[in-house]
Amino acid sequence: MFNLFALLVVFGAIGVVVSKNVVHGAMSLLVSLLGVTGLFVLLDAYLLAFVLLLVYAGAVVALFLFIVMLLDTHGDQRPGVKHLPLIASVITGALVVVGAASFIMHARLPEPILANVPVVGDSLKHYAYQLFTTYLLPVQVIGFLLLIAMIGVIVLSRKHEEAAS
Amino acid sequence: MPIDLLHQAHSAATSNQWAAIFPELALGCLALLLLLLEIVLPKAAHRHIPLVALLGQAGLLVGLLCNFDSVTLGATSFNGLLIHSHQGQVMRAFFLLSSLLVTVLSMISLAKQSVPRVEFTHIVLIITAAMMLLAQSNHFVTLFVTLETVTIGFYILVSYYRTSPFSLEAGLKYLIMGALSSGMLLFGITLLYGVAGRTVGADGVVHTGFEFAVLGDFLTAHPGNFLASAGILLVLAGIAFKIGAFPFQIWIPDVYQGAPTPVTAFLAVASKGAGFAVLLSVLHVFSSYHELLMPVLTVMAAATILFGNLAALTQQNVKRLIGLSGVSHAGFLLLGVLASAYVPMALGAVNFYLFAYLLASFTVFGVMAHVAGPNDAEQELDHYNGLMKSNPFLATVLAVGLGSLAGIPPLAGFMGKLFIFISAYKAGFYGLLGIAICGVVISIYYYFGWIKAAFFASADPSPAPEVKAISINWGARLVLTALAVLTIALGFYQGPLGAWVSNR
Repeated sequence: MFNLFALLVVFGAIGVVVSKNVVHGAMSLLVSLLGVTGLFVLLDAYLLAFVLLLVYAGAVVALFLFIVMLLDTHGDQRPGVKHLPLIASVITGALVVVGAASFIMHARLPEPILANVPVVGDSLKHYAYQLFTTYLLPVQVIGFLLLIAMIGVIVLSRKHEEAAS
Repeated sequence: MPIDLLHQAHSAATSNQWAAIFPELALGCLALLLLLLEIVLPKAAHRHIPLVALLGQAGLLVGLLCNFDSVTLGATSFNGLLIHSHQGQVMRAFFLLSSLLVTVLSMISLAKQSVPRVEFTHIVLIITAAMMLLAQSNHFVTLFVTLETVTIGFYILVSYYRTSPFSLEAGLKYLIMGALSSGMLLFGITLLYGVAGRTVGADGVVHTGFEFAVLGDFLTAHPGNFLASAGILLVLAGIAFKIGAFPFQIWIPDVYQGAPTPVTAFLAVASKGAGFAVLLSVLHVFSSYHELLMPVLTVMAAATILFGNLAALTQQNVKRLIGLSGVSHAGFLLLGVLASAYVPMALGAVNFYLFAYLLASFTVFGVMAHVAGPNDAEQELDHYNGLMKSNPFLATVLAVGLGSLAGIPPLAGFMGKLFIFISAYKAGFYGLLGIAICGVVISIYYYFGWIKAAFFASADPSPAPEVKAISINWGARLVLTALAVLTIALGFYQGPLGAWVSNR
């Protein structure tokens, strides 16, 4: 099962990059996200899987599609690949391959003793308790983060009339 | 709900001591108050709202300094998410002082543009509160959440002059680069979290690799772990983006040029200070991997000093110049951070350097905010021609600020560099010290080019562009004078501040 979902994730991600049509790209993103959801289910993290499905697959990808339709950006011919970026991409790609290979060769996680691992990811109640006790401060900070993000969007997108001074 | 879990939740809730983060809370409330005032007050009174922010911040700064040692230093709160230390208190004062000065700068600079001002101050206050929490974080969740709050605030501020294509370009570049660096940082944190795993303590509380203490113990127990090394390097790369260290400095010139002048100052001083606060705390956690860290940081420091100074040599735009010279200052600070692994005094030297850099930078940015024309991104060296004749006050203040940045002997910047170099010498970084001294020599050239433009008539026969009279209100004059006097005074007498920042 893991391999199936992992393949979905990887091929979806590749699809996002290579597809010429933007709508196909968004659909590939959806496939990739479904794979990630499957991985979370395999880890018994049902809440995360559900939230990912709802927020990303449901809302974000739908938003992407909506914007694509709105902007009507299809059929833009991509500019030809120049030499320097090509060389840089080849080098970067080679580095990624080397990095992945060295991870496969050297990376060893200690074998977890499953009996000692508390299963906490499947309970909504547990998340709620954590969020409102241990992690209350980050939750509050994120509240402010969302506030300034909202204010920023308004300030940057609104037509500003001349300040009455 | 099992009763023991309920007890755990209760003890977790009681360790959320909101009083310990009173300055941050007050800043957040002040920011909200500004928005409220904008709704309630009539339009004519809106221009006084930043004044409220100014007074509030000044009050908080005084309060923080008065209660400097009152919080239980060394104690953790919020279940180990925060740690209250002397270093944290120093950085809190640093961020509060810089946000205060940014508010002053924004009152000068934003008046020349038609952009909303209250929201600007609001975002500055939120960013400052997040930075103050960042400097005290003891847990990767707090670190990342506060760092993201800072970064997202900066995305908005950098593109704030949205009618200027430079500002928008800078915003886009900062967005992409910031997202990339956050991604690296997050990937590194994930690796470290995964490799450290989770342990259940004696009291039944689950500890994870997010906690700095747990991670530090794990790293000490498992030297040379491949995944941990990769994670450490990725975290360092993410932080290097924030401080603008080589090779992650590519975004600096364009973003500094396009961003509004107060934001450039905020980026140059507070964002860099935040990066160094994070760097100091994570290096403490990673200290058992110093065989990996030291070579990387040494090369990074040397390359940063050289690149910053050499690239700044050819700049004609003063914002790009100050950005690239800021890269070299990051290099000097990295040298101090490196030395702090061996010499205790180096930490004090880094703090002193940060404060000297703050004073000098805001002096220069204050002058830039006055000299800047309607196009904020195009501030060339030529605009400073004949500044001495048209406005001797600004020219003198500029000379003091630039001299301090260059490290000319009687000024604070010189003492900062001297302290860093002494600690580097004690720690035995002779090669790096040589490179740093070369860097200082190069930097004198371009800083003096700027001073020369301001003080001496240009050699070319074409008449200097019409210099219009620059009006300075008394508040800005007072702040600039205070900054310049402090810069000079700290060069002669480091007593209280020197002892205060270096005392552990």
